[in-house]
Amino acid sequence: MVVNEALRILRTVRYDAAHFSVFLQAGSIAAAAKPGQFVMVQAGDGLRPYLRRAFSVADVTTVAGVPGFELVVRAVGVGTEALGRFAEGTPIPVLGPLGVPFPLDDLKQTDRVALVAGGIGLAPLVLLSRRLAERGIPADLFYGGRNESEVLKRPDFERFLGAHRCRYATDDGSLGKKGRVTDILGSALEAGTSYRRVYACGPLPMFRTLAAMLEAAGVEGSFALESEMACGFGVCLGCVLPGRDGRFHTICTEGPCLPPTAIDWSRV
Amino acid sequence: MSVDLSVHLGRLRLRNPIATASGTFGYGLEFAEFVDLGAIGAISVKGLSLRPCLGNPPPRICETDAGMLNAIGLQNVGIDEFLDGKLPKLVEKGATVIANVWGDTEAEYRAVVERIGDDPRVAAVELNVSCPNVVKGGMVFGNDPAALHALVAAVRSATRLPLVVKLSPNVTDIVTAARAAVDGGADVLSLINTLVGLSIDVETREPKIGFTTGGLSGPAIRPVALRMVWEVRKALPNVPIFGIGGIETVEHVLEFLIAGANAVQVGTANFRDPGVCGRLVRDLEVWCERHGVARVAELSGTLKTRPRPEKAYA
Repeated sequence: MVVNEALRILRTVRYDAAHFSVFLQAGSIAAAAKPGQFVMVQAGDGLRPYLRRAFSVADVTTVAGVPGFELVVRAVGVGTEALGRFAEGTPIPVLGPLGVPFPLDDLKQTDRVALVAGGIGLAPLVLLSRRLAERGIPADLFYGGRNESEVLKRPDFERFLGAHRCRYATDDGSLGKKGRVTDILGSALEAGTSYRRVYACGPLPMFRTLAAMLEAAGVEGSFALESEMACGFGVCLGCVLPGRDGRFHTICTEGPCLPPTAIDWSRV
Repeated sequence: MSVDLSVHLGRLRLRNPIATASGTFGYGLEFAEFVDLGAIGAISVKGLSLRPCLGNPPPRICETDAGMLNAIGLQNVGIDEFLDGKLPKLVEKGATVIANVWGDTEAEYRAVVERIGDDPRVAAVELNVSCPNVVKGGMVFGNDPAALHALVAAVRSATRLPLVVKLSPNVTDIVTAARAAVDGGADVLSLINTLVGLSIDVETREPKIGFTTGGLSGPAIRPVALRMVWEVRKALPNVPIFGIGGIETVEHVLEFLIAGANAVQVGTANFRDPGVCGRLVRDLEVWCERHGVARVAELSGTLKTRPRPEKAYA
């Protein structure tokens, strides 16, 4: 059930000039949200930014005992910047939870999975890692960005993942291995680690490389895709990506979580 | 005081003047969680073509100040899937349905309308002669009064349902287009469709939309739409009008009614707030109660203009 409701901002936590988390009161959305789903948030006065913005539900949690959920945001334009400026307690219109979540139900405790994040693509993988930890499914995190400041070091992440490894890569080598996040995943695959499924969210070049890598290795993937959208529930048809079947896939309703094999990456 | 919200647009009778604009409300069913489809005046569904249409390659949309550009390219399930799959469910939910249709050629337009025929489940047929986002058809008809007249006349004989023609604002004179449509047999006019626009990514120097240009919608276009509704109402006082363009609040609805519309279609606002149409129906009733308006239809065309000076003096 998708709900259109006004939810108060419980807390905004700034990590640096560009990155912050917004914690919203739970409403009906938090309990229903599954990893990989998203919400459409109206930030601002409704003229600029005009449209709502899509954000992954990054975590379902509590703030000082109040149930809520978290959005992890990188300020890149008018919408994301406006969202970071609201005072705590401000009610903002939120629609959700929306879209197809990451497939999880078919996993067994004997399966190992990989989580691959690029930059702000970490967002949907936080809730995913929490749910995996709850079910005792081992996961390895591969997380990359252009530099250290684009990689959000999250202590809670390592906590969810328990004994398992968080591996980092940056283009400039300022954190973890120098190179791309797909390089460190590739090394793990070459070293013989086998994954039941690779969950990923990040920028287009990362998706493109990863799609080819997984296909070559015969590993199943689930990508939380991003595309500019006006509505978030399948009517504007603005967020489509070209599919291998020749159709356009509506990312907000057929996705955002899709197997990489559904997309024709040569036409994206 | 009870308010009579019903309006008549010729033979098209609506329970209230709040309708949805084609292309912004899907096939209606997508909104069933957010709004009572039977409580809205009418639902103009996504533009239907003879065969399913895939639409344009992405990127298809971008935000602009107080609006957005789109070049979806009329992606739709096709008339047969609509009539067999979607329409029965819409009828079940009590919706008043306007079938918005388009084609690449006059023959295709006529063929789509023939499929609908006199189907009693459809309240009216709306011709889209004004889509700026397809290579053929669409606006070609909307921009050429002779072609528009011929198209409307060709379609007219294919149905006895009320025929609505949705006009393009991308013309020098909207009244010329309006007359051509009415002379061809249009019962009702819808105006306006989107205004052709361009938005550029200065880093890549590429258009933000794959189709290069797109249709501008949202609050940014409202004054243009209002002016065009007013012009057509003055020139053709007896032709019913759906006013469309950037409607978000009850004040905007009232502006269009006062300018000369008999009903409105709410478009891009549905993307921002899927419950907006239900709210507008309630807000309109409250406004009429507070202002002692017994029948909302009384408001139509009540603009009090001031005389314009004949010339400007130094």
